[in-house]
Parts: sequence; structure tokens; C-alpha cells
Amino acid sequence: MILQLKNIFKWVQQGGQRVFLLKDINLEVAEGEFISIMGPSGSGKSTLLNVIGMLDDFNEGEYNFLNESVHTLKEKHRANLYKQYIGFVFQAYHLIDELTVYENLEMPLLYKKHSGSERKAMVADMLDRFNIVGKKDLFPAQLSGGQQQLVGVARALIAKPKLILADEPTGNLNSKQGQEIMALFKELNKEGVTIIQVTHSEKNAEYGKRIIHLLDGRQLKHAG
Amino acid sequence: MFKNYLKVALRNIWKNKVFSLINVIGLSIGLSAALVIGAMIYYDFTFDKFHQEGDRIYRVTSEFTSAEGNFYNSGVCTPLAEALKTAATGIEMVSPFFTNAPYRVENREMDKVFMEPRNVIYTDGDYFKIFNYNWLFGDGKTVLSGPNEVVLSENRVKKYFPGIAPNKVVGKMLVYNDTVPVKVTGIVKKFEDRSDLIFEEFISIRTLGTEGIQQMIGDNWNSTSSASQLFIKLEKNAAVVPIQKLLEDLAREHRDKEDLVYNQGRIFHLQPLNDLHFNTDYGTFDYNRSQASKPVLISLACVALFLLLLGCINFINLNTAQATQRAKEIGIRKTLGSSRKQLVFQFLGETFLLTMAATLVSLFLSSWLLRLFADFMPEGIGFGLFGSPVLIVGIIMLLLALTFLSGFYPALVLSYFKPVSVLKNQILPGNDKGSLRKYLTVFQFMIAQVFIIATLLVGKQIHFLMTQDMGFKTSAIAYVQTPYNERSMDQKLRFEAGLKAIPEIQTVALGGNPPASRSTNSRGVIYRDGEKEIYSELQLLFGNSEYQKVYRLKLLAGRLPLNDTIHEYVINSTFMKNLGFKEPQEAIGKRLGEGKSSYAIVGVMADFYQRSLRTNIKPMALIGDWSRDQYSQFDTFHMVLGDDASTWAAAMESIEKVWKSVYPEYDFDPRFMDDTVKRFYEQERKTSVLLQWATGLAILISCMGLLGLVIHTTERRTKEIGIRKVLGASLVQLNLLLCKEFLILVGIAFAIAVPLAWWGLNNWLQDFAYKTDLSWWIFLLSGIVMLLIALAIISVRTMVAANANPIKSLKTE
Ligand SMILES: Nc1ncnc2c1ncn2[C@@H]1O[C@H](COP(=O)(O)OP(=O)(O)OP(=O)(O)O)[C@@H](O)[C@H]1O
Ligand SMILES: [Mg+2]
Repeated sequence: MILQLKNIFKWVQQGGQRVFLLKDINLEVAEGEFISIMGPSGSGKSTLLNVIGMLDDFNEGEYNFLNESVHTLKEKHRANLYKQYIGFVFQAYHLIDELTVYENLEMPLLYKKHSGSERKAMVADMLDRFNIVGKKDLFPAQLSGGQQQLVGVARALIAKPKLILADEPTGNLNSKQGQEIMALFKELNKEGVTIIQVTHSEKNAEYGKRIIHLLDGRQLKHAG
Repeated sequence: MFKNYLKVALRNIWKNKVFSLINVIGLSIGLSAALVIGAMIYYDFTFDKFHQEGDRIYRVTSEFTSAEGNFYNSGVCTPLAEALKTAATGIEMVSPFFTNAPYRVENREMDKVFMEPRNVIYTDGDYFKIFNYNWLFGDGKTVLSGPNEVVLSENRVKKYFPGIAPNKVVGKMLVYNDTVPVKVTGIVKKFEDRSDLIFEEFISIRTLGTEGIQQMIGDNWNSTSSASQLFIKLEKNAAVVPIQKLLEDLAREHRDKEDLVYNQGRIFHLQPLNDLHFNTDYGTFDYNRSQASKPVLISLACVALFLLLLGCINFINLNTAQATQRAKEIGIRKTLGSSRKQLVFQFLGETFLLTMAATLVSLFLSSWLLRLFADFMPEGIGFGLFGSPVLIVGIIMLLLALTFLSGFYPALVLSYFKPVSVLKNQILPGNDKGSLRKYLTVFQFMIAQVFIIATLLVGKQIHFLMTQDMGFKTSAIAYVQTPYNERSMDQKLRFEAGLKAIPEIQTVALGGNPPASRSTNSRGVIYRDGEKEIYSELQLLFGNSEYQKVYRLKLLAGRLPLNDTIHEYVINSTFMKNLGFKEPQEAIGKRLGEGKSSYAIVGVMADFYQRSLRTNIKPMALIGDWSRDQYSQFDTFHMVLGDDASTWAAAMESIEKVWKSVYPEYDFDPRFMDDTVKRFYEQERKTSVLLQWATGLAILISCMGLLGLVIHTTERRTKEIGIRKVLGASLVQLNLLLCKEFLILVGIAFAIAVPLAWWGLNNWLQDFAYKTDLSWWIFLLSGIVMLLIALAIISVRTMVAANANPIKSLKTE
């Protein structure tokens, strides 16, 4: 098992009242799973994903990640944990505008203290695999949305994470580009990478082996 | 990693060209000021630091206390040296020296004469044991022990014995003051490091003989001449206190009886060598140079500090203002594994790049500034000083400090962003950060405002001083002092006759100093009125009957002295009041002094300023040349030229011709009374120029920062402006909306600056006996100036924003 959420609650204080963003979420994810999270807008999908990715806090409940209890960890340890095991893919790509494709890909490795030659090899590998060698010296603004998301996925993968979290990875793409990304995810999943994605599209959700439905921060039980 | 940071940094700097430029320019202005001022401070603080065991070397000085205040004298009475030699334990060396230079040096062998050599002292061998000179010839241990010996500097050797090899010069003779033959027994190098010991010619003190000393200086405990000075060197580990105690005892033991009567006293001080350069009470040995002043250096350092702070504030403000733009990058970096520390270092690194750039720019700027301000600074200050290791290390430290100061806070703010909120585009410009920016902007403008007020007021005070009627005629008057060593009356009369023949000269007077001058001559006088006895320090002004006409001194009652040498006083009304008379007429006929030396007051003249308006009017008397037989006080000719200034050049030429015929050996050095008055205010004028610069720079830096903030705000609010415009807001309304935010800040800065400036300037004005008002309009004017400048800066930018086509801005959002 890669991670386990037990009775997770998250709320914000608004006008003296608690507004719940997540209510009693229980989730177990085994290694090698491919999970899709669905639900209407505002139902808390992104919030849940951010909690899983340790980018966001929760107020109550337990969260174990690879046998570490996240809720008791210090900020720094938590950062080390997700730095090492988790890759993020965002709807808005979130590439650094001031860096070229090559440099964007290289960046996660820089934070992990790989040697120069190692980095070169790994980046070259990724460029190759995603067929973007020719684009390596371009800046994000010079790429199409699909290409940017390709780079985003490549960047998430480069440090060889165990878990990939993708928040509407195809949300800004046309359907053909979306298909390509989904195919890529499927392939990755075959190679053993665990994937959790948020999506609005039934079709894309079908790529996952399990679908979790959220409504108003609450998990709908019947799903599977 | 580093390369990655560098790349991002450079691309970011490039992307935000305007902000980067503002940051670099602002910082480099502050830095250049700091470099120039730092060089000045370094220069002045490194005088006489190189002497071995310099912390054990002291100059002994005198302070005289009396009811009227304390007077300082860099010299001591001559017997003190001997007393210290015999009585003291703890003193290793005692070296008296006299700074009266001989007026004439002759190299008879080569038939060369040199007039009035400078930097000559009479001293003994101990001087060279206290101060280690580099000996080219001769032996520092035995030299100057006998009479008629002289040690010369290398330069003097070249001057007195041109073309002769230095080793041949030792043993040759010079003749001083026509009669004293002296043998060259040593040659030293002048100190290569900065030193106030600028002596070049050392004559053995025994050359003077006891009689010579008695004549020149006086040899009793009660006469103190600033020319008779004393260096001592303490023994190793010797305490200062017992020696100070001994000096107290000596002063008490040899107290003058009269001093007791008038409750006056004397204190001997031990002045440490490193105090020499700064202590204006005692001065240095170089009279050509105004002395370094610690308060001035400190206020300069403050100016530099303020300018640097202003630059740093721009940095902080603009970088935190831009935070939203960097937020995305920060969020991504964090999700990809960057720690907060790494981010802080990244941003500090970026700041470092900019401060580096600023430093390079400021090195160029400061070399230019140093040349620009050459008149203001001692000769030795130049760009070359920056080669010294101390300053290099200082610059590097400053660079790091600046980086830290201006980069740390923005780095903290930026690195604090939570990745999730960043990526959700949730960071609204947080309120707290915005308000810090406001505080800093207020601080900037407050400083600029204080500078503006100070500039205006100092300008007003100088104007007041310069235009204030001195109480005597100052325009179209020239004076020239006859050579100090040519005191014969015949020559003076010949010169006078020559002057009178020049048609451009209307009146010629013979006398001492002009009515206002830096040098004063005063003596204590006693006035007895029945049982009442008034003792007063009386300044003396020497002049013949024409003198009063030349300067248009107003006679309130009585008459002028009957002739040049008769012993009669014409007192000023301040003194008259001090003596207790209400009406000038009452003072006429009263006598000053006792017994044989009591003389009558024959006239009362109106008060005039005897110096700058910084000092009060002192009791004064105009008298004739009373001791003409022994020592004539009439040594200066005062001339009234025509009112037409264009004729003066011709007049001066004629005067010089007459001079050359009477005093062919001496340089002609005429002065104008107007210039003399102006020179009283040299310090104030320097302050004023400096303030103008500081003000200009402070305004410039602050306004650049303001411009940056305005650009940022208008960019951020483009959408809002667009919407408002579509909804029908007018240009003026939009402008007002945009300006309001900033004008409020300028207003707050003004409110804080006014009391601060008032307090500071009020203090400054206390130095002047006569001062201009701290008028309200100065504050108002300066506020308006600041407001207009800020408004101009703001509206340039807001006009563009408000004029923009709303459809465009809304589309791109
Ligand atoms: N910091 C916050 N303070 C208050 N409410 C918040 C905060 N963050 C999120 N919310 C609310 O929580 C709810 C869930 O938000 P979330 O972004 O998780 O929705 P989502 O399911 O991802 O929606 P979408 O499909 O539109 O992306 C929303 O109603 C949102 O308004
Ligand atoms: Mg969402």
C-alpha cells in the first residue's frame, strides 16, 4: 500500500462557521493503481489531491504515506517525502516561463543533487521518450498547450516518482491532445507508476481502474 | 544548480528591465555617495597610525579657564619640559619643539636665498627617538644634540642644494636670519604614510640658546605660546593618570597670583597622538588646511547611510511588489522539491547580482564624484585610495550587507508562499506586505522632505549672513599686509606715498587687521568706578585716522585719537554698555587701566561684527600704534577703490608695481574685504552645496522608487481602470483615484518630516549668534515642492494607464 487516508476532514472558518471542504474521506491506494477522481465543480477534488500531495493541510484524520504518518511529520520532512516520491501534473502546466524546455526538465533533478552528467543523461532520455528533442531550447511560451503539458508530464516523471498526481491534466487541451496524454498515463501505469488523476471527462476517467466520486467534499460510497 | 539560478536571475532581471534599472541606479547612487564619503572618512582616520608605539605618544597642551569661558592653546610654557624631565616617572621621552620658523634661509656657498620657509621646527634629538624617521644620512641617535645643527628632509635638500648629491650635502652650511650659521647633520625622508607631522626642517633647539628662547617664546611659567609645543612618550605600560596628576600639581604650583585674583586657571592636557588630527581646540601644524572635523564626517556618514537606505528601500519595495509575478515560479519550484532555504538563497543571489552591478556602476560614478568635489576635499583623497586593502574589504562587506539588507526581506516574503495557494492563483497581495511597503515609502519621502527643508533653511541662513550689514563698509575695499619681517616705518611711508599717487584709490589707511578678520588681538583691561571694578577682555583694532574713514566706522560720541601713537581709546558701544554707561557721552573722558598705564576713552563708535555672525559682538577698542618703537601694529594698508569694479584690475596692477618697488623680495598678496567676509562662511557654503547634492540624490532615488511602485500599481489595476472607464469614469477621476494612494503617503511623510526637520535645524541654528527665522513658509514651500515632484512622477504614469483603451486591457486579462 502506498497511501492511506482515514477520516480526513478539512474545513475553513467563514463568518464564524465551519465550511467543510472535505468530509470524512477514507481512501486506500495500493501501489500500481490508477485512480480517477470525479465530481462537479467545487466538490473538493483539487483540495483532496493537494492533501494527498501534501501541498495542503487537513484538520482532522490520519494520513499514512509509505508507512510514515504524514499528519505527525514536520513541514520539512513532509517536503522531503513528496520531493522524493510524488510528481505533479497541473491543468495549467505550470512550467517556469524564464526557463527553456531543457532547463524546466532539469530543475527537479537540481533539487535532488544529481551530478551534471547524470542530469544530462536523464533529461536526454525524457526528451527522447516524449519526442520533444527538437523543442528543447524553446521557452514555454513558444509551445502549444499540448506540447507544454507533455513537458509538464515529462517533468513530473523525470525524478522517477512512485506516485503521479494530475489535476485535470487534459483540461486545457483539445480531445486529441488529451487522448495522447491519457495513453501516456496508461503506459506509465503499466510500468508500475501509481497515478491519481482528477478529471471531468467520463471518457478519461475510464482510463483509471477505480473511480472515486466526490460531492460537497464527501465521498460517494457505491463507486468502484 | 548555480547555473540554473543564474540563468533565471539574469532572465528575470532582463524581463523586468525597468525595475532592475531603478534598483541598480538607486543603489549605485547611494553606493557612490558611500564610497566617496567612506574614502574621506578612511583618509582622515588613517593619520599618524603608523608610528611604532604611537599609543604611548602624547602632545601636552594647555587649557585656560576663566569666567568668560575656556581658551585652548596647543603650546605649553617652556619650563614644563624640563620639569617633566626631572620629576616624572613613567615618561620615557620628553621632546619640546618650537614652531616659529626663521624668516630667511641662505645657502651662501651657492648664493641662494629662501624667504619664509615653512614647516620648520626647533627641536632636540628626542624628537627623532619618539618618531621614527627613515634616515638617508646621519644618525637618529646622536643628531641635534649640539647647537647649530639642522636635519633636512629630502625635498628641502633638493630645494636648498639643487644639483648636489644628498651625501655631499651633509656637512654643508646654511645661514638662518642672516646671522646664524647651521650645519646640515642629517637627511631624512618625509613620512610616506599620512601624517600631520609635516615638518621638513629640524634645527637643534640649542641653536637658539637660552636667551633666544627667552626672546622668542618667553621662559617663565606664565607665558604660553602656541609655538612652544611638547611631545612626550610614556614608558611601556605606564598609566596616564599619575602623569595627569603630576601635570595638575605643576600647574597649581606655578599658578600666577593674578590668576588667583580673577579666578582663572590652567590645565595641562595629554593629547593622544590620534586626537591630533581632529581636535580643533588645538589644531595641527598645517595652517593652510582646514582641520578634519569629526562632526562633519559623522554627518556625512549619515548622509551616505540615508542614501544607501533609500536605495535598499527601493529594492525591497519593488521586489515585494513584484512578488505576485514571481509567485508561480516559487510554487512550481516548491512542488518540485525546493526548500525554503534554497529559495531564499536564490533570491538573495539575484539581489547580489544587482548589487554587484550597482557596485561596478558606483565605482565609476565615485571616481567622477571625487574629481567633481576635488575642491571640497583634502588633496590626498582620490580614487587611488580604493586600492587599499581596508577599503577593498570594506566595499566587499558593504556589498554583502546591502545584499542582505535589501534582499532578505523580499526573499523571506517570496519563499513563504505556499505552493498550493500559489498554484491556485490565490495569492492576493497580502495586506501586511502592502503596508510595510507603505511604511518604507513614507520613510523615503520623509528623508527626502527633511533634506529639502534643510537645504532651503541653510540657504536662507547663508543668504541672511551674507546680506546682513556688517556695520562697516565692505565693498570696494582692498587691503594688503606688508611683509612680517620688514617692519621699518620708512618703507611703509614710501609704500603709502606710492598708493596715494594711484588715481583709482580714493582713500588709503594704515592699520592692523580689518574690522572683521579671523585673527584677533586682545588684552585684559580693568575699569575702576569708585569701589566697583570691572575686568574685561578687550579686542583691539589698530588704525590711523583714515582707517575709520575707509571702513566708515560710525562715531557715536567724542572724537578719534589725536595722532597715530597717542594712547587713547575709541571703544565700541558693546564695551560701553559693559562698563555700565547708558549714553555714549557718559563714557567720554573715563579712564581704562590702573596707575601709569591708565588711558582715556576719547570716543565711542557704533557696534559692528568683528567676525562672522556666528559669534557675538565683543568689547572692542580702536587704538593707534601705541608701541610703534618696539613693535609696530600698523602693518596693513587699507584702500578704498572706486565703486566701478571694472577699474579694479588696473588699480591692482598699479598697486603691485608700487609693492615691487618697495618690497621686491616678497610676493604681493592683496585681499578684498568682500572676499574675507565670504570666507567666514566657507563652512556654511560647503554644508549648503553638500546638502543640495544630498537632497537632489535623495529625491531622485525616492522618486525612482515611487515611479516603480506607480508602474506596478497601474499594471495591477489595468483591469479595474478599464472597467471604470467603460462605466464612464473621466480621465481626471481616474487620475485622482490612482494618485490618491501615493499622495497620502507623501502627505504622511511630510507630517513626520516637519517636526524632525524643525528640531534638527533649530539645533543647527544655535551655533549662530545671529540667525534667520525658521519661517513657516520654508516648510510649506518644501512640502509643495515635494508634492509637485511626486505628482509629476505619478501622473506621467497614470495618464498613460488612464488613457489606455479599456477594451484592450479587458481582453488581455
Ligand atoms: N481557502 C479556501 N477558503 C474557502 N473556501 C475554499 C478554499 N479553498 C477551496 N475552497 C472551496 O472549497 C470548494 C472545493 O474547491 P476545489 O478547488 O477543491 O473544487 P474542485 O472540485 O477542484 O472544482 P473544479 O472542478 O472547479 O476544479 C470550493 O467550493 C471552494 O470554493
Ligand atoms: Mg479543481
